[in-house]
Amino acid sequence: MTELSPNLSGAAKAAPAIRRRSKRMRAAFPYLLLTPAVLYLLMITLYPGVYAIYQSFFLVRFNSWTYIGFQNYIDLWNDREFWAALWNTLVIGSVALTLQCLLALTLAYHAYRDPWIKGWRIIFLVPMLFMPSAVAFMFKLAFMDARVVADLLMRVGVIENNIGWASSTFLSRMILIVADVWQWTPFLFIIFVAALQSQDEEVEEAARLDGASWFKIFWNISLPLMRPVIAVALVLRGIDITTMFANVFIITKGGPGGATETISYFIYRTGFKTFNFGYASAASVVMLILTVIIAQLVVKRAFHSGRE
Amino acid sequence: MASQRRKRGESRVIRYIILGSWAVFCIAPVLWFLSIGFRPRTEIITPQPIYWPTFSLDAWHMIWSDWPMASYLRNSVLAIIGSVIIDLVLAIPAAYALSRYRFRGREDIGFYILSTRMMAPAIVAIPIFFLFRNMGLLDTIWALMLIYAAVNLSIVTWIIRSYMMDIPKELEDAARTDGASDLRILWEIIIPAVLPGIITAAVIAAIFAINEFLFTLLIASTKNAYTMSVALANFTGGSDGLIYNAIALVAFLAFVPVFIVVVAIQKHLSRGLTMGAVKG
Repeated sequence: MTELSPNLSGAAKAAPAIRRRSKRMRAAFPYLLLTPAVLYLLMITLYPGVYAIYQSFFLVRFNSWTYIGFQNYIDLWNDREFWAALWNTLVIGSVALTLQCLLALTLAYHAYRDPWIKGWRIIFLVPMLFMPSAVAFMFKLAFMDARVVADLLMRVGVIENNIGWASSTFLSRMILIVADVWQWTPFLFIIFVAALQSQDEEVEEAARLDGASWFKIFWNISLPLMRPVIAVALVLRGIDITTMFANVFIITKGGPGGATETISYFIYRTGFKTFNFGYASAASVVMLILTVIIAQLVVKRAFHSGRE
Repeated sequence: MASQRRKRGESRVIRYIILGSWAVFCIAPVLWFLSIGFRPRTEIITPQPIYWPTFSLDAWHMIWSDWPMASYLRNSVLAIIGSVIIDLVLAIPAAYALSRYRFRGREDIGFYILSTRMMAPAIVAIPIFFLFRNMGLLDTIWALMLIYAAVNLSIVTWIIRSYMMDIPKELEDAARTDGASDLRILWEIIIPAVLPGIITAAVIAAIFAINEFLFTLLIASTKNAYTMSVALANFTGGSDGLIYNAIALVAFLAFVPVFIVVVAIQKHLSRGLTMGAVKG
């Protein structure tokens, strides 16, 4: 009897204990599933963020770090090259993004219900399947080194003499814009086509029977329905354009006179060309703050509305 | 009636002119660049551009004999495969949690994962460079694997999450009443059901990994870690400048497999590229 009772009570106690533990376990389970991924991402966001903030208060010369307070930020504020890089990024990015959005919408509008185009749609995707560095070399060769573009323009009669692409602010920016539009309009195109196709065909049919023109249907029915998709696509493309690096690195090296230096290239140059790591980190921190603000304001909203 | 038909016929012509000229704009540079890959070096940079060059396999022989092309290829392939495996191992459980459970902070964690997609490589480049230097991983494919996986993890997680959200709850509930554990449900029911999504995510992550430029540029300094994307900039002949026929040829070597897998997953492409936001 006395030997049995502890066993009995133990068994009786054990059952709810397991249930309780498994209940706690159940509540923790999704967090456990997420932990590895989140830890991994913290490694490339939180750690570098903290590191960059810390380093931005130092003058770094190889292995000697000297604390200089906010000096890097003050220098940055007074650095015309830094402001120019922000401005260039904005100009090149907004022009390229606007152009490719309008082009992709036009193309998608003409392509999405055409059965003949459907089979050939892959042709429109070809540019974005090349490595960006390869595309950069292609445009560098076409515009600058082999001068094919100038030659073709001269044959058509648009221009009389050869053009110094690399020495003109406008033209060198234009090369970057053309390269980006060429490669990434397909990205927006395929997304817009998918969005248009998933819309209810009957609504369009009804509007057409009422005598509405194709363009009216597109403008008044399809486009408003596409707004969330356009928002998501433009956000994704906008991120990539503002972080443009390979094209600048390969085609223009930021020239002429810094006219095509984007913010990414500025950070790369101050960090890995002049080895002013503290200063480059300060620029990274500024860019990080801008990114977080934009993420909270724009991206969160775009993905919330775009989800369903 | 007749005028309406004619009008539609006209708009059809305009449509094909617009789409046709865009197709030419897409393809013409590609064909020209392909012709660069198969011409001798003497016919690339000339006083007058040459449009009908002599056919030559110079570049093909050059990339294998003058440069460690086999290493570039191996580095690319290993780094990509490794990074995609890391991504899937981390992303599938995360996506499962984000799509099939209700818990506090779900939205915030999901958004945090998404927001890492917006990190400009340049922002984290310097700390990551020092991190890998301290770990002794500079100029190794391990560093490339780790960084590619990190860059793509948000995309992979969100794509798979989007596909998992489409699975009807009943499928899961039926298995749960049979007494299956959550992990078994994930393994035996959810993963097979979202296999197209997992493949799409893997393909898109692989493409982004092939394309990656800035991190690779900082990490790699010899043939130990040069990938195709960055090795292109190495095809130089000292004072002769860039050797474009080799660059063009390698560009197409990387293009062909990408083209093939994209054709295979074409139906899922737009959904993958928008991280699940568009269901094409």
